[in-house]
Amino acid sequence: MPDVRITIDGKEVSVPAGSTVLEAAESIGIEIPTLCHHPAVEPIGACRMCLVEIEKQRTLQPACTFPVSDGMVVHTHSEKVIKARRFVLQLLFSERNHFCMYCQMSGSCELQDLAYEYGLDHWTYERPFPKLPVDASREYFIMDHNRCILCRRCIRACDELVGNKTLGIKNRGTNSMIIADLDVPFGESSCVSCGTCLQVCPTGALADRASAYMGAEDEIERVKSRCMACSVGCGVELIVRENRVIRIEGDWDAEPNSGLLCEIGRFHPLHEQRQRVYEPLIRGEDGLQKVDWEDALGLAAEKIREADDDLVSVVSGFASTEAAEAVINQLPGQKVTMEGPAPDVQSAPLSTLDEADLFIVIDADLTVNYQVAGFAIKRGFRHRGARLVVIDDEENGLDPWASEKLSLEEAEEVLDRAEDAEHPVVLCDVEGLELAQSLSKEISDSDLVVFAPAGNTLGLKEAGIESAFAESEKASVYYVLADEAPEMGDALSQALSEAEFVIVQASFQEPWDDVADVILPSPITSEKSGTMVNTEGRVEQIVAAVDKSLPDEVEVIEKIGNRIRAASASAGE
Amino acid sequence: MAKVTVCTDWLDICSGCHMSLLDIDERLVQLLEHIQLLSSPITDLKHPPKEGCDIGILTGAVSNDHQLAVAEEMRERCKILIALGDCAVFGGICAMRNFFDVEDVLKRVYVETESTAPDQKVPQSPEIAKLLPRVKAINEVVDVDLHVPGCPPTADGIWFVLTEFLEGRMPVIPEELLTYD
Repeated sequence: MPDVRITIDGKEVSVPAGSTVLEAAESIGIEIPTLCHHPAVEPIGACRMCLVEIEKQRTLQPACTFPVSDGMVVHTHSEKVIKARRFVLQLLFSERNHFCMYCQMSGSCELQDLAYEYGLDHWTYERPFPKLPVDASREYFIMDHNRCILCRRCIRACDELVGNKTLGIKNRGTNSMIIADLDVPFGESSCVSCGTCLQVCPTGALADRASAYMGAEDEIERVKSRCMACSVGCGVELIVRENRVIRIEGDWDAEPNSGLLCEIGRFHPLHEQRQRVYEPLIRGEDGLQKVDWEDALGLAAEKIREADDDLVSVVSGFASTEAAEAVINQLPGQKVTMEGPAPDVQSAPLSTLDEADLFIVIDADLTVNYQVAGFAIKRGFRHRGARLVVIDDEENGLDPWASEKLSLEEAEEVLDRAEDAEHPVVLCDVEGLELAQSLSKEISDSDLVVFAPAGNTLGLKEAGIESAFAESEKASVYYVLADEAPEMGDALSQALSEAEFVIVQASFQEPWDDVADVILPSPITSEKSGTMVNTEGRVEQIVAAVDKSLPDEVEVIEKIGNRIRAASASAGE
Repeated sequence: MAKVTVCTDWLDICSGCHMSLLDIDERLVQLLEHIQLLSSPITDLKHPPKEGCDIGILTGAVSNDHQLAVAEEMRERCKILIALGDCAVFGGICAMRNFFDVEDVLKRVYVETESTAPDQKVPQSPEIAKLLPRVKAINEVVDVDLHVPGCPPTADGIWFVLTEFLEGRMPVIPEELLTYD
């Protein structure tokens, strides 16, 4: 389409036809205030803050939805416009409970920012003080309807970005209320607690339990890093105050998640209940006891040196690529991954999910693991009419979205369904890889998305640790680089309990305190720096946001290595 | 030149806004060279004189019939009325009770609190001011000439407003001195 020439505040600009007045203004650096508008979702013109004067238009028009046309003349800050915006703010403040002095959002609130900008020093209209409920039925964040301005950002984020469409609105006018499903408590609804609505809410209506009243925008720092909880490797913004992470948000600029996170990435690190390890522990007569670093490193090095090749190093996908390299370079014996083998095929980029018209999900539940990729499937289903076939012998969280469910035995039947698909994508993790590969080969033009079993499994592979623990031979001494790993699995648990000596480098005591003879403290993801490789093969930076004065995981492994070499040298080996 | 006469009083409030007024510190001395304080809650004279004054400053919200009378008297006797602080301007913290019915609030406070002995009653006496059904901002009961929000307003904000008046201008609070919390 040809470009359209319009004039905004006396400045001429040429923009593509179909652009909105807001986009045109932004392209030449003219600021128009917005409130319900959010760049990640479709504009709907709900709040009227972006009203502008357009010549030959009878009334003021919302810039966020109004399309440009040739020769249009726009005034964004005329007296009439400013007066209208003040009026809109007056109405917004008068409607519900918008008293900043006891709101946790004060200082970070977009409504408040606009009131300051427009010099609102009092309210003109009588306040109705409606008696509205607070819904605290969800674990991680609450919905205070009193603070809601009905901008519908949450509804659009839930629908357009997450594809879950839990949120909606009931009633009309001043009686309008945000509801979940058919007006059930949020905690009993189809909500998946991904927190995307929380991240886009401009006021204090959605409040994070962990970070409420913990720091306003000018008191915090935002550090971009990565989530290592699964191999999607989402970009995060760690919200930090006084050397503490108070909240985690999705990084809008990061691929592959574009601002989205799941419950695990956004909330679990801040609601971790396990006991942190800040000092080295050695098993004595009364169980694990605190010792100093020298003793712990000395004992670990001695046991590893004695074991030599009778050692298995088990490395978790929470470890950075650099830590995995250190294990390879410093320690003897076999090296294996904790969570499973690295897939031996290259996955298609996750962005292909937003082009697919047929998803074939094999033996993986994307509502439990790799959830952000699962959101892409729901988006595709809702907004592009994409079909979904789930091939799984067990119940799968995506079943309600599936147009068809096949058992693994019936998998071949999917080939018929794929015939008329223009862009089929087959998704699997390492368990379903063999089947996925054979199906993908037979479906023309199909992409294969493979999820590595843990956050940095591909980084471990790059460092040289490829095979899974299950393939290792039994040893008498184990070194486990666990970091934040939440569980060890039955086989590893069995092997560790039968081993003579177990050294664990972990951030938390559980689940290692029953099996470990030495626990060496390790930083959690927000405390360390390094790289990880996500399931697409994307190399991503882990950036330390806080400093808990713990030695880096690499440093600890190198110190052990140095001790082993020094001991060997003095023994004349 | 005659000094500008000022009267002030507090309504339903924690008194923090008057504390913030005192927080203008040594500038108080400078201020007193130009103004004369005729009445305040902490001086002997509590009521603005019948003859009136130039500036009336009220802090706090209007929660009961006594405060309503104080606000009306101040409005009647001053030329310019300033509502100082969030409670005066918006209702503030005091307005939290507006999300409940006044009978429920009284019952909760005097009868149902965990620390209250059994069989207590809501006190009823003609000497006790009667709560209004709803806490009101001052501009809901009388005309206000200038609103200075803030919980409390900053000392610099208060100083700015007063010096503008002394210079003969109607203050327009700049964005950096405007605060709601």
